Amino acid sequence: MSERVVAEAFVELADTLVDDFDVVDFLYQVTVRCAQVLDVSAAGVLLTDQRGALRVVAASTEQIRLLELLQLQTDLGPCPECFHTGRPIAVGDLSAATSRWPRFAAEARQSGFASVYALPMRLRTDIIGALNLFGTQPDALDEDTIRLGQALADVATIGLLQARTIRHRETLAEQLQTALNSRIVIEQAKGVIAERRQLDMDQAFTLLRGAARASNRRLSELARTVVDGSETL
Amino acid sequence: MNENPAVGVWAQIGRQSQGAPLSVAHVCAAVVAGVRVDGAGVTMMASPTARDTVHATDRVAGELEEWQLAYGEGPCMDAFAAGGPVLIVDLGSPDCSARWPAFTPAALDSGAQAVFALPLQIGAIRLGVLDLYRSRPGPLTPPELADALAYADTAGMLLLDGAASTPPDTADLAWQRDDPTAHHAQVHQATGMILAQLGISADAAFARLRAYAFAFDRRMGDVASDVVARRLRFEFDPSPAGHDEM
Repeated sequence: MSERVVAEAFVELADTLVDDFDVVDFLYQVTVRCAQVLDVSAAGVLLTDQRGALRVVAASTEQIRLLELLQLQTDLGPCPECFHTGRPIAVGDLSAATSRWPRFAAEARQSGFASVYALPMRLRTDIIGALNLFGTQPDALDEDTIRLGQALADVATIGLLQARTIRHRETLAEQLQTALNSRIVIEQAKGVIAERRQLDMDQAFTLLRGAARASNRRLSELARTVVDGSETL
Repeated sequence: MNENPAVGVWAQIGRQSQGAPLSVAHVCAAVVAGVRVDGAGVTMMASPTARDTVHATDRVAGELEEWQLAYGEGPCMDAFAAGGPVLIVDLGSPDCSARWPAFTPAALDSGAQAVFALPLQIGAIRLGVLDLYRSRPGPLTPPELADALAYADTAGMLLLDGAASTPPDTADLAWQRDDPTAHHAQVHQATGMILAQLGISADAAFARLRAYAFAFDRRMGDVASDVVARRLRFEFDPSPAGHDEM
């Protein structure tokens, strides 16, 4: 992982903070960049639904096994622990975590992961979610890389808030709920496209993103038109 | 550890309905009792032309719904369009008059000083809005917001049932409340697939998925995983009995 790759990642992420900014697309790019730059196998972003649960908003791959591992962490797992304590979680060896998170550790290992990390997404005193990283090797991340991962988590937080002046707690609450709903719109659109074109969800998502870029539209706006039938892809 | 807000919310709704079939009126009365707001209203918005106030707990709530529909502006409209809540802590602030020049003075005149507009939605399925107001400015606390979102969910499900012309079934709603897979990505993906398979709207597709899961006593996420993996398809059957699944 060269410095240039890292710098490019940040520049690219900064470039996305423009007018047609789409928060779910942005968070997806964060996860993809994390996987590349941090040299981990998979990454996901979970956000608080503001009523006690964490919800998946972005994942670096559509593979079911990653999605399930992210969705599994309702009460126990690196992300809930990170979210509730506000501290980074680093487990270099998942085989040592079986009593800490029995089900999560077992399923993660079965999926081929050997180490897991959860980094807090924080705005001042509020923890709004977690960046979840998975490695197929033990100790996939060293301390420097973890620090870099935290910087990417911070970029994700800033992006979510879109440089709006966050004077009020209400703005954060509104943004979180809107982001969660946008994610659902995109999932619904993936389903429509997957069925119509007989694709898997990965391909459907790629097609949707490609169409949004080609027509210079926001990802979630295009997704909405696909679902409500005002447009066909 | 936080208790799941839905449990307390459900108890409050039960106190209002007293065993009768659930209605939006019960949910509105419950949120006023449970969240420390002065009134609530629900407007359903199936389309830009099909908009109707379903219920309002009092004069002020009713007028708020009226002003938004009449002027075509307000926190309710913005929340519906943006797909996220609009939480106005102080209607008297200059931002509000700038943002909603017609609605704001009318709303203040009616007696509202804080308005919290929660869209009733599941992704692109947009059913309407739940509006809460206070006669004094002030924010919802985080636990109040959590509860308000849970009440909004219930109101949304009732509108969905109303749109499907099925009488709201308390057992059905309670069962869904307790389903931990109801928010999984596969559920929304399956909604999209069923929409395309049956050529129906997204809200009808979601209702079908939910009804199937309930009928077979399975979690929505599990049925949805079958749909996504193409082990289960919903096919249109033109017979009066309805749709077939195979």
